[in-house]
Amino acid sequence: MPTISSKNKPKNIVLIGNPNTGKSTLFNSLTGLNQKIGNFPGVTVDKKTGSFNYKGTKINVVDLPGTYSLAPNSEDERVAKNYIENTNKDDLIIVVVDATNLKRNLLLFSQIIDLDKQVLLVLNMMDLLQKNKQEINFDKLSKSLNCPIIPINAILNKGINQLKEAVYNYKENKNSFLINNSSKTIDETMLRINKINKIVDDVFTENGKNKSYLLTKKIDNIVTHKVYGYLIFFGILLFIFQAIFSWASYPMDLIDNGFSLLCDYVSTLLPEGIANDLIVNGILAGLGGIVIFVPQIAILFAFITILEDTGYMSRVSFLMDRILRQFGLNGKSVIPLLSSTACAIPAIMGARTIANYKERLITIMVAPLISCSARIPVYTILIALIVSEDESYGIFNLQGLLVMGLYLLGFVTALLSAWVMKLIIKSKEKSTFTLEMPVYRAPRWKNVGFEILSKVKVFLFDAGKIIIAISIILWVLSSYAPGNKFEEINEKYSNSSLDKSETNVLIASDKLEASYAGIIGKTIEPAIEPLGFDWKIGISLVTSFAAREVFVGTMATLYSVGDADNTLSIREKMMAATNHKTGEKIYTKATTFSLLIFYVFAMQCMATLAIVYRETNSIKWPVIQVVYMGALAYLSSLLVYSIFS
Amino acid sequence: MTLDQLPENKTGIIKQINDKNLAIQLLAMGFILGGEVKIERIAPLKDPILITSGTNYISIRKSDAKNIDINPDL
Ligand SMILES: Nc1nc2c(ncn2[C@@H]2O[C@H](COP(=O)(O)OP(=O)(O)OP(=O)(O)O)[C@@H](O)[C@H]2O)c(=O)[nH]1
Ligand SMILES: [Mg+2]
Repeated sequence: MPTISSKNKPKNIVLIGNPNTGKSTLFNSLTGLNQKIGNFPGVTVDKKTGSFNYKGTKINVVDLPGTYSLAPNSEDERVAKNYIENTNKDDLIIVVVDATNLKRNLLLFSQIIDLDKQVLLVLNMMDLLQKNKQEINFDKLSKSLNCPIIPINAILNKGINQLKEAVYNYKENKNSFLINNSSKTIDETMLRINKINKIVDDVFTENGKNKSYLLTKKIDNIVTHKVYGYLIFFGILLFIFQAIFSWASYPMDLIDNGFSLLCDYVSTLLPEGIANDLIVNGILAGLGGIVIFVPQIAILFAFITILEDTGYMSRVSFLMDRILRQFGLNGKSVIPLLSSTACAIPAIMGARTIANYKERLITIMVAPLISCSARIPVYTILIALIVSEDESYGIFNLQGLLVMGLYLLGFVTALLSAWVMKLIIKSKEKSTFTLEMPVYRAPRWKNVGFEILSKVKVFLFDAGKIIIAISIILWVLSSYAPGNKFEEINEKYSNSSLDKSETNVLIASDKLEASYAGIIGKTIEPAIEPLGFDWKIGISLVTSFAAREVFVGTMATLYSVGDADNTLSIREKMMAATNHKTGEKIYTKATTFSLLIFYVFAMQCMATLAIVYRETNSIKWPVIQVVYMGALAYLSSLLVYSIFS
Repeated sequence: MTLDQLPENKTGIIKQINDKNLAIQLLAMGFILGGEVKIERIAPLKDPILITSGTNYISIRKSDAKNIDINPDL
């Protein structure tokens, strides 16, 4: 509605505050967006923007990473500080504080006031204040600070309208906190703190026990215990693994059957021919190969979100710091490494909370070695080629054991690579591990639900787009050949003595080999032959570089040749595939294992490389990453292939 | 005495922090000069440690705790 919004000129507001005070929760309720929130310091590591309309005025909102003061210790805090220092004079800064911890939170507020900014103070977590039997005299506090105050509960949307109204009606206000603020010295900071403590003592009353804090201490007695602490952590990991690779199989079977029916139906709908082939074998099979993994992805994201929502992640960081330090990492690497099991991209950004640049860099460099959700489809398809579903080793399902082995392999290799990099990269910067332990909170199921939904959407649509694009490119590349190669092939078989359908299969497979796709595969075949891979696998290695999930669709397209009536599943097609020279089966134990190992190690994700480039600000690190992970993949596959063949 | 020497569950008063950056960071996290500090937990592998001051609750490494001078409570 341009007529209304042009009436008033837009306002800009910026949310800042200590970490974990609910800035992003408030941002979401103001803008209706779904920024990630979680119960640990450093959820938001970059500035995020959104907007809302209030009484015909457009109000732009910026959500910043949390910071304890304007003296930053890590990259995320630096982002916040730089942004605040460079805001315009009439931008309104909203300092979001945790009402249950005013004394600590107001330091940042006082520093921002003294930057000569327009400030509004928001007291969040009013529900906790009540629960902990604490009270604040708002009027008095507002007078002492000479600043408007709005109490809110960002989760339940209480006070949001009052906040909007206050933003709308904000009157410019000259204010300062300390008269002579020289530089950021210890003395100056203590002056601020003493003044704040006096003000807060005057307005803050406690009428009982601080329940959430006491409960937190009780839980920590068990969770950080010398023995139980580690047992609980590994128990949780095992439980998640079990859920993903065993319970998820029920919904997955349903989806699998559903998709087969859909493919059959669509292939009868469309006229026979190449387009049918493209849609059914390329796009539908490729998408089916992804959709089937939605239950696993959903479960994985659910658990990670729950862990992040409760406050447990900070405790794991505490337990693991000493061990990870040995490998050139940091306790704060825990969150990036664990969330890499879902996707390396947010994980690499999350490494911003690591203050020491060397440790942050090493975390970024090894995170993609942790098996991410995009590897799940590849692992599953390949493992099914060599062990059947009901084979078991003792009480353990063999397929499950193999998947677990691949995850462990990725994890151990990440640690070892980190250790090697620790020896190579030089740094004199001090390493620290100063991390706040947030109070425990019950996971908020709405948040968990949103998180699952948005991640599954990304998984389906982003991967889906790539799959469709690659399927089409691949289809074009495999349907055309340079010169008149295809005519020559037709010629060659024109007076063949074989019956018609057999001839057609031979023609189709010769044509694929002569096509542009075939030429690409053939060109790299000599390089990958020692690993047990043929040119078709070569093509899928190339397409997988766009995203690993594309593997399934590529396989479907390449092996559809000779299966005119689309009766076979991708797995059956791959099982039946034979080498064009020797006539032997392609997916032997040796080749399949070799290919699995290749997918564990190889850096096959453009999006991750782009993020590494952005985060390290240099082309050097993504290049090193491609090379070292590629070398690792090639050599290990070579080794595995020669052991098994 | 420095903070790293204080045993689990014991408290003290922070006298001085001998590293400017660390000092400013800890002040901003609620660990102030003249304020109380308690060792809540020493990690299973002896490092890092969990410390509290009021309801401020953080983890730091022993190497940093060494830079914090305290008066232990008896
Ligand atoms: N009880 C209660 N919890 C809240 C409230 N607002 C936010 N939270 C919780 O506080 C935690 C932190 O919320 P976020 O919005 O991620 O905090 P943030 O300030 O953006 O944190 P960083 O991005 O890490 O600086 C989450 O677990 C929220 O569910 C509130 O009003 N009451
Ligand atoms: Mg945030």
